[in-house]
Amino acid sequence: MAIEGADLVRAAALLGAGISMGLGAIGPGVGEGFAAGKACEAIGKNPKEAGLLTRTMLVGQAVSESTGIYSLVVALLLIFVV
Amino acid sequence: MEFSDAIWVQAAAFLGAAFSVGFGAIGAALGEGYAAGRAGRAISKSPELSGPILKNMLIGQAVAESAGIFALVIAMLLVFIDTDGRPLIDAFAYLGAGLSMGLSAIGSGLGSGFPAAEACQGIADNPPTQAAISTNMLIGSAISQTPAIFGMVVAFMLMFVDFTSQPLWPAWAALLGAGLSMGLAAIGSGVGSGIPAGSSTLGMARQPSAATAIRTNMLIGSAVSQTPAIFGMVVAFMLLFIDWSNVPPWPTWAALLGAGLSTGLSAIGPGIGNGLTAGEAAEGVARQPEAQGPITTTMLIGQTVAQSTVIYGFLVSLILLFIQQEPSHAMTEWVALLSAGICMGFGGIGPGIGEGIAAAYAVRRIARDMSQNVLLTRVMLVGQAVSESTGIYSLIVSLLLLFVI
Amino acid sequence: MEDLTIVPKWILTLGGYTLEFNSETLIMSWIVMGILIFFGWIATKKISILPGPYQTLAEVMVATFEQLVADALDEGNRHYFPLIITIFLFIWLSNMLGVIPFLSEPTKDLNTPLAYGILGFFIAHYAGIKTKGFKAYASEYVQPMFFMAPLNIIGELSKVVSISFRLYGNIMGGSIIIMVVSHLVYNLVLPPLLNAFFGIFVGTIQAFVFTMLTLVYISVQTK
Repeated sequence: MAIEGADLVRAAALLGAGISMGLGAIGPGVGEGFAAGKACEAIGKNPKEAGLLTRTMLVGQAVSESTGIYSLVVALLLIFVV
Repeated sequence: MEFSDAIWVQAAAFLGAAFSVGFGAIGAALGEGYAAGRAGRAISKSPELSGPILKNMLIGQAVAESAGIFALVIAMLLVFIDTDGRPLIDAFAYLGAGLSMGLSAIGSGLGSGFPAAEACQGIADNPPTQAAISTNMLIGSAISQTPAIFGMVVAFMLMFVDFTSQPLWPAWAALLGAGLSMGLAAIGSGVGSGIPAGSSTLGMARQPSAATAIRTNMLIGSAVSQTPAIFGMVVAFMLLFIDWSNVPPWPTWAALLGAGLSTGLSAIGPGIGNGLTAGEAAEGVARQPEAQGPITTTMLIGQTVAQSTVIYGFLVSLILLFIQQEPSHAMTEWVALLSAGICMGFGGIGPGIGEGIAAAYAVRRIARDMSQNVLLTRVMLVGQAVSESTGIYSLIVSLLLLFVI
Repeated sequence: MEDLTIVPKWILTLGGYTLEFNSETLIMSWIVMGILIFFGWIATKKISILPGPYQTLAEVMVATFEQLVADALDEGNRHYFPLIITIFLFIWLSNMLGVIPFLSEPTKDLNTPLAYGILGFFIAHYAGIKTKGFKAYASEYVQPMFFMAPLNIIGELSKVVSISFRLYGNIMGGSIIIMVVSHLVYNLVLPPLLNAFFGIFVGTIQAFVFTMLTLVYISVQTK
């Protein structure tokens, strides 16, 4: 079972895609959840500002998502482009 | 370097024993140490109660030790098992058994330490409630041991069921995957069942009159936290008992290993997250027993959403188990399957924990102010849904690796 | 263990294209529709001040959901209330159907949850455009910066995937767990407990979560 060089590279790319998206999903998941939790607490203390607080939470979560998006982009690049 | 099958099986049995007791020692030691530390702090606050506190600490530590004992039993069996004439496939069975028991014991050992610790604290805070505290600690610790028991059941099956009817390839991956699936999944659930046990024990010290409400809440919360371990066990059973004779060995072996990793890893996060939520709920009921209804409802909703990523992991495992693969030795084929399992597996960890944290804070707030129930549930759901995004990305990449490659 | 990949089908050939319908899902969906229509008819047959049992049940459900919708949506959008309660009733009844022997849940087939997810998605975005106008709606996609547009679009699509797959995974996963464990314990003792937990308990919560999330998506779009 001789492994071609090109095959090995392609296989490594696929494995890398999995690792990239897999590990990359850990951080944003925990971080955005923490933001959501704190938003719940804040809205509980100040229900009148629910709209503002929800919007702040969504913006904060969207920015925290960035590294998750980077992982997704790299994973897709590894699967489809290289 | 040709060795007879019996040599490999013997070597694998020893390795499995090492994994079993090695991993198993981690959890129990951590849990018991945490309990001892809190006991010390409690005794320093109330030296006259050192007798009861020490007694409670020892009992609690003994229960936390059970996970370590299970791991030791499996290890002893593996060290002394007679490997003469065993087929090569048993090597992987023993390795899987060691992993299954060892990894499960991490979670349960650590989880059972929490109620022991909080019980010591509770006795120092409110000595007359000793009996109620001890009972709750025992119940909670016992529930936390369930994932380790699941791990032991799977380990026994791996060690004593006759696998000679299965072909070596790909069944070796099935057995290893079964061990990983059960072991990894039990880590999260073990810790996750221990957290509400601890919080409820402390809550019982604070508000003994609400004992029934607190215990009910803890039981519901702990039970839901154990669902990820159940998913891991179901995948392990499927890997063990489906007949793999009619599938092409390459690349199905990678699919089977990936199936085990997918559910196993992705169950860690939701297990812990569910536990965090249930812990806050138990504490909330202790503060405000009248709010039990809204608290339990929101806790259940939050826990259910936090479990989404283990569902995705389970789905990917099912796809890997049941979709027939084309026989192929190409490296890209089997790496793609393995990578899909790894991707969804790891990807389930973060959102599980994060959504659990979000639900925990929401429940805590609802305990303070019941009337904000609906508003906070809505905000929690929005926040959880956004946190899930990276879990979805992992699911999408896994599906791409499975179906587009 | 039965082969899980065999699916009973109806095949229809139309103008060169072969259409496959999953007959089991369709028949179960019709049963659910029949039950709901029948319940609606019975509850409203004789509306009186002193309600009979069916009318009381209907009034309780309507009141609960009207409260939920009123909390979440502004005045102008409260007319989505019938949609929300219908989604809940259909999904809830679908999930319950699996507990009855010889019947299975239509939500066990990915098509059903996906259909509801896509429905919710289109309704939410339609409501958003109608409330805010197309310009304000479109400008949200380029918040906070222009090149975030594709990521925002992916985020919106991932909402559909998440609610659909969550419902599908929970229901199908539950039914597989019931099947595997029942097979292992030779159908002794455990199956009713599993059915109660996975079928009734999980089914109810998942239906509620799906409905709430659809409601939340509509409200997020319209605010």
